[in-house]
Order: sequence, then structure tokens, then C-alpha cells
Amino acid sequence: MAESSNLAEIINGCKAGEAESFEKLIDIYARRCYGYFYRLTGNNEVSDDLLSELFVKLVGKISSYKGGSFEGWLFKIASNIFHDYLRVKQRRKKLLEVQKRQLETKIAETGEADAERIDKLQIQLEKLDGDTRELIMLRYYSQLRFREIAQMRSEPIGTTLSKVHRGLKKLRELME
Amino acid sequence: MITNGQNEENLKELFERFVSTEEAEQAMEDIQKAEEILREQSAPEPNSELVSDIKAEIAEVLLRRETSTFKRIAYKAAVAVAVVIFVAVVSVKLLERGGSEPKRFATASIIPAAIWESDDAELAILAAEIEQIEGRVLTLQLGEDGANGDRDLIELEMRLIALDNDFWKE
Repeated sequence: MAESSNLAEIINGCKAGEAESFEKLIDIYARRCYGYFYRLTGNNEVSDDLLSELFVKLVGKISSYKGGSFEGWLFKIASNIFHDYLRVKQRRKKLLEVQKRQLETKIAETGEADAERIDKLQIQLEKLDGDTRELIMLRYYSQLRFREIAQMRSEPIGTTLSKVHRGLKKLRELME
Repeated sequence: MITNGQNEENLKELFERFVSTEEAEQAMEDIQKAEEILREQSAPEPNSELVSDIKAEIAEVLLRRETSTFKRIAYKAAVAVAVVIFVAVVSVKLLERGGSEPKRFATASIIPAAIWESDDAELAILAAEIEQIEGRVLTLQLGEDGANGDRDLIELEMRLIALDNDFWKE
């Protein structure tokens, strides 16, 4: 995690329109944001597109960041981008079903041993409902506190805690 | 490797606000073990080519924005100059009506020529409009407008208003 003073300098550089500062921001957050998109879409190409969209959008939006948790701000935009993606496609259920089928087909084709390598976690994640999956990924990749996540989602902290707990418990059972 | 930075958040305390101590401990264990699984099975990373492409795209966006800012300043300067010219012409006309001797002015473009040397279509249209207005102003100043001075002034005013409206629409 970037030191907060260092991060503040980078953000100020971004606000001043310095390309180098944006490069540093990308180096810090690209992996986490990519992981977030990948775990939600299960697709490398889509994750590539969403990651590009996120950082290019930041150029126009960075001036609206007025302090507070940068991760919270960044992942709020990432979450909006993901939801826009789902809305535009208007095929959330269809997409998940197709991906699930594709993953199952891959496993059947490559055999049990290779299936472990494909990404068992991704397969089990698909078994969780979309909202819970997103919440878990938001918590894991944004590294935000429960209080911040609850605030971001405009829901009581007890609801957030309960959803994350139930989701992670189920994921753990599925993975064992 | 990504590490969860929420450690400073007292999870146990948070859970205990809603459930018993035992249940809170169980919930913490569930969360910690599941997050351990997430850490062990990390997601793919963006490839370096993608990261380089994003950086290049951002550099290009920033460059475009800089150019656009310069053009916006040029537009504003051009409109301001046109308004100043118009006001000057109206003043001269009013003075002439007051019976004083018609004055002769040497006119020169206040706008740097470099601003117009652009391939931007909007800027080219604006440049043409202002050139025409400057031409009309010159005609009026030289007294070559026959008996249509007032009508020309009204026409000039209308064109300036239209130009101003178009500009601010952007």
C-alpha cells in the first residue's frame, strides 16, 4: 500500500495533469483493480477493457477527489464501471451462465489435474450470488474497512458484515 | 502480494455489536480463513503490454486536453477582441453623429496570427467570421458604407451575438 504522503503527492501530480503521476498511480493500483474486475467477470479481455476504462476515466475525474479514502473513491468508480458494463450488455444472468458453462467445459476438456490450475476459486465464486461476490471482491481488493464499504453501498454496517460473513463462509465451504 | 490493510479495524469488536462473543469469534475465523484462500489463489495480473498501453493512452488524453485548453483561451480572446472592436465602432459612430470631424483609424489585428494557423475547423469558421466583421468595421470607419451605417451596425451586432452564442454552446 502506498504511503499516504507519497500517495497524496501522486494525486496532486495527477490533478496537475502530469503523465508521470498517472503512471505511478497505475503502477500502484493496476493489479488490485484488475484482480477485482477479473474476479467479477471471469474474463481476461473484459478485465483488460474495464481496467483501461477505469484509468482513462480517472484523468477526467481526478479533480473531483476531495480527500478521504482514495481506495474508497477509486473502487467506487471501478464498481460503477462494472455495473455500467453489466447494464450495457443487459445480460448479466446470461453472461454468468455462459461463463459457468465455458469454465465447466474447459475443466471437462482438460481433466481434473489441469482444472485445479485453471482457477478453482473462480468456478466457486460463480456459485455465489452476484451481489455477494461483488461485496467480497470489493472488501478484498479495495482493502476498505467494513464501515467504508457500508457507507459506499449506502447500507447499514450490520448488513455489510452479515453479507460478507455469509459469503466468505459459503466460499470456504465450497473450496474445501 | 496484496495484503489486507483493514487490520487496524477491530473485527471482533465490530461483530460483537451484533452477535455474541462466541459467534463473533466464529465469524472472524470464517472471514480470516476464506481470505487466506483468496490470497493463495490470486487472480491473474494485467500483462505489461496492457499497462503500457493504458499509460500511453493517458499521455495522449492529457496532451489533447492541453491543446484544447489553449484553443479555449484563444476562442475567448477572439470573442473579447471582436466585442471591443464592435464597441469602438459604435462609439465612433456616435461621435460622428455629434458633428465632429470623421476620424480615420489605422486598424491592426490584435489577435496573434499564430492562433489562426490551426487546422481546427471551428477555429477556422470563427476566424472567417471575425475577418468579415473586421472588414465591415473598416468599411464603416472609412465612410464607404453609403447611407446604410445604422443598418450595418445592427447587422454587425446580430452577427456578434450569434457568434458569442455559438461559442458558449461548446
